[in-house]
Amino acid sequence: MSKRLRARALLVVSALMLVLMSACSSNGEKASGNGSGDKVELTFWNIWTDPSPQNKASLKAVKKFEKEHPNIVIKQQNIPHDQFKVKVKTQAAGQQLPDLVQVWPGAELTPLVNGKLIQPLNGILSHWDGLIKKNQLSDYNVDGKQYALPANVTPTSLVYYNKKMLAKAGYKNFPKTYEDFKTLVKKLKKQDVIPITLGNKAQWVLQSSYMSMIGDRMTGSNFLPDVLEGKKKFTDPQFVKAVGVIKELADMKAFNDDFNSIDNIQHRDLFVMGDAAMMIDGAWSLGPVLEAMEDDSSMGIALFPSIDGGKGNPEAVSAVTGTGIALNSKLKGEKLKAAQEFLKSFYSKEYYTDLMKADILVPADIDPPKGVSQALKQVSKLTGDHIAPVYDATLPVDVTDAINSGLQEVTLGQMTPEQLAKKLQAAVDKEK
Amino acid sequence: MHLLNRYKWPALIGIAPALIIYLLFAIVPIILSFYYSVMDWDGFTEMKFVGLANFKEALHDPVFWGALKNNLLVVAASVFGQVPLALFFALLINRKLKFGKVFRTLGFMPVVISTVIISLVWGMMYNSRRGLFNQLLEGIGLGDWAQNWLGDPKWAMFSVCVTIIWQFIGLYLIIFLAALQNIPEEIYEAAKIDGASGLKRTLYITLPMMRNTIMVAVILCISGSLRTFDLIYVMTTGGPGHTTEVLAMYMFDQTFSSTRYGYGSTLSLFIFFFSLALVYLSTLILRKRGD
Amino acid sequence: MAHVMVGKQKNIELQKESGKGRRFSKKALIYLLLVVYGLVNAYPMIWMFLNSFKSNIDFAKNPFGFPVQWMFDNYKTAWETAKLGTYFFNSVIVSVAAVAVTIFAGAIASYFLARFAFKWGKMVYAFFVFGMLIPIHATLVPMFLLMKSLGLLNTHIGLVLPYIAFNLPITIFILVSFMKSFPRDIEESAIMDGCGVFRIFFSIILPMTRPALATVIILNFINNWNEFSFALVLINDDSLKTLPLGLANFAGQFTTNYGAQMAGLTMAVIPVIIIYLLLEDHLVKGMTAGAVKG
Repeated sequence: MSKRLRARALLVVSALMLVLMSACSSNGEKASGNGSGDKVELTFWNIWTDPSPQNKASLKAVKKFEKEHPNIVIKQQNIPHDQFKVKVKTQAAGQQLPDLVQVWPGAELTPLVNGKLIQPLNGILSHWDGLIKKNQLSDYNVDGKQYALPANVTPTSLVYYNKKMLAKAGYKNFPKTYEDFKTLVKKLKKQDVIPITLGNKAQWVLQSSYMSMIGDRMTGSNFLPDVLEGKKKFTDPQFVKAVGVIKELADMKAFNDDFNSIDNIQHRDLFVMGDAAMMIDGAWSLGPVLEAMEDDSSMGIALFPSIDGGKGNPEAVSAVTGTGIALNSKLKGEKLKAAQEFLKSFYSKEYYTDLMKADILVPADIDPPKGVSQALKQVSKLTGDHIAPVYDATLPVDVTDAINSGLQEVTLGQMTPEQLAKKLQAAVDKEK
Repeated sequence: MHLLNRYKWPALIGIAPALIIYLLFAIVPIILSFYYSVMDWDGFTEMKFVGLANFKEALHDPVFWGALKNNLLVVAASVFGQVPLALFFALLINRKLKFGKVFRTLGFMPVVISTVIISLVWGMMYNSRRGLFNQLLEGIGLGDWAQNWLGDPKWAMFSVCVTIIWQFIGLYLIIFLAALQNIPEEIYEAAKIDGASGLKRTLYITLPMMRNTIMVAVILCISGSLRTFDLIYVMTTGGPGHTTEVLAMYMFDQTFSSTRYGYGSTLSLFIFFFSLALVYLSTLILRKRGD
Repeated sequence: MAHVMVGKQKNIELQKESGKGRRFSKKALIYLLLVVYGLVNAYPMIWMFLNSFKSNIDFAKNPFGFPVQWMFDNYKTAWETAKLGTYFFNSVIVSVAAVAVTIFAGAIASYFLARFAFKWGKMVYAFFVFGMLIPIHATLVPMFLLMKSLGLLNTHIGLVLPYIAFNLPITIFILVSFMKSFPRDIEESAIMDGCGVFRIFFSIILPMTRPALATVIILNFINNWNEFSFALVLINDDSLKTLPLGLANFAGQFTTNYGAQMAGLTMAVIPVIIIYLLLEDHLVKGMTAGAVKG
């Protein structure tokens, strides 16, 4: 017994040594080299993991660049969105960011700028004159310096509706005013369908797709910057009323009653399957809905109706630009040149065209290519006039967290709109 | 044990490898993390010493206290749910039944399966509109008892706890089964001859002999429950509101969403001390009962 | 629940018959309980397997039923999206290496901590147990900085070492408690015979500890196999990444491919089940198979 065991132990130990040795040798120090020979290697992290049309277009643009620049190697890491942020923050703490890194506007971008981890692109900005709309650059602009370019514009709040179900309730057109909208909700309820599908488990939907929009209708688009500068307060009656609108919708049971325990993918399913008549969601759902809905001609898209007493532009839609790529501040010389070359090649007319074909709205001044869906054209028209800020892309993280959980508590009746407003103002005051 | 003091060197050699790896790759990072707890650091800019400010903030943070309360609920559910149930099923399976092995394997499955699946399945069973539980209740005429299990603040924590209990019974089941093997057959034989019934044998022989293992299970429950993270994170993300927020989750959000490494470290330090206190308390209680 | 009720009724009827009947009915009740328990536990696994063949729409429409159309393609998609070809192998290397070292170093340390009385023995033991009380996410950033300064970032060994370190506490905790339960005098005669302490460990203690060893091996393997956070932070190279990182790829920012995700998870759970089945018999052997009995 003992001999056998000892022999086995020996075996285990030796196997282990082997494994460890192979593990050691299999990873020669492949430091993101300054290029052995003539090749320049750039590390690039993004979130393009799942094979969505947008990701495919992005990956294609990278491939195209590599083909045209055989002496530059782009070493990508594709990491899912949620994990990406954990990883980037850890790497940033160790001053180990990759050469090129995908960045989001607002709360995600400013710390990178403040920590001097990324460098501005102002030197090469003129390359995009005439292609990217000037007013779309502001999200990635911090204190007059441009840190990334946008690939897409994403309205976060569109009302998707089922034309047939609305017609059944007596509505040929989408209601123009909030009062009429409420009547519609009541009529839909009588027909035993879910008026508005909502999955707010992850807590950001009510904030990003509802608060950003309804808030803007009530307060106007300067409200958030004013609050951050201390010129206005969240306790402003207009803002409180806006929260009240969300509360009202919840109280009149406009949503499916499990709205706090399902997620935004499940809520989209309810709309696609025809269980719900409306869905208030971002433009990110456009592609998936068109793909999944059996009869997509019955889908209509509208903006949230105007609200009586609102100070905002009733045509405004909350939107944020995305898929920016920032350059590591450590990049110099040849690598910097290569990285800039990459950005020039990546944000091209061709890429924007591909994105439009994938039902993505772009910030570029180009003619829509053939084969663009009717729905995208409509969204593009709807969002043409006035863009309102999105809460989580504008506010500091702690304030966003407070809104996210607070809105959930308001819909459950655990907190009043006034209390939420006070809590938010306290969170803003703490930031200073 | 008296004569073993002369084995100092072998003991040192025996313990050293584990101790060295543990010191270097667990204790060093832990101490570093504790060091951040007196700092204000966002990971991007310079660290700033702030003394006990983070601790003070935690003590005045309602979310922190709420999370602690929820954590204690999870501890209670685990200790009083998982341990007795696991013991019960371990005793049943240990009765040399046919298919005992099959039941043991099935019992262990929840430990093996991915948390993502567990939260998906349970989330759908809890669903208020077409979930299994509400349908069952309606089916047996108890439709009034149907609840919005995960969406209602009154029920959310309860529902989460039920799933947590279910998830880890299997782990304690195999630990108990392993310990039951260690009770010599002869003791039972003797008791049988003395005419002790099955229940009596369980109460007066098996359970006392299992006391150490039960203690192990309780301590594992406590340490596991205070660090619980994954399941609740996927199942409710702490909502509705903060009603299912637990400490480890709050710490994670503070660290990686708000990038407040200092405050996050403070929270983890609290988790450590709370667990320590609970572990100490439980050993006191279990020991007293035994002696 | 309904089953139990029916079982109880049956029980009462049977009890009227005879003593033999009573024993039988008691057994039936036990079986019934266990069958219900088994079903409740097996269900999610079956559910995962069935849903791994569904399309996204099918999954949304009927999450509980059989697939309308069996999408075997999900497995191909899963294999590619999760990069299983590479990651699977990496996970095996990392998990096996970490488990082997943890068990070996942990068992020897436990032996000395459990069977020998040293002044500092209790302290060392408590020190190890402290490790069970630390939430792992708190150490991500420090661990990253540590590995960076040691030059072990982006290596398998840099992943194996923390895995060992963070699994040692629970390993030692379970093994020590098990080893302590052996009668005191088992080594004494061996020592009188002139056996070395290490020989006692290998030939007497280790065989007796088998049920606990099997438990901690399974536990360790599951922990390492599923570990996500350290792998996310410490590994950059695609060729070195482990399975859990790949399995996260199914969830996009706004979409999730459920069918493929479940196909991936189904494939990922197979090794764990194999390990369990391999060790299952050892879970209950213990004393009877050990060198010493009585």
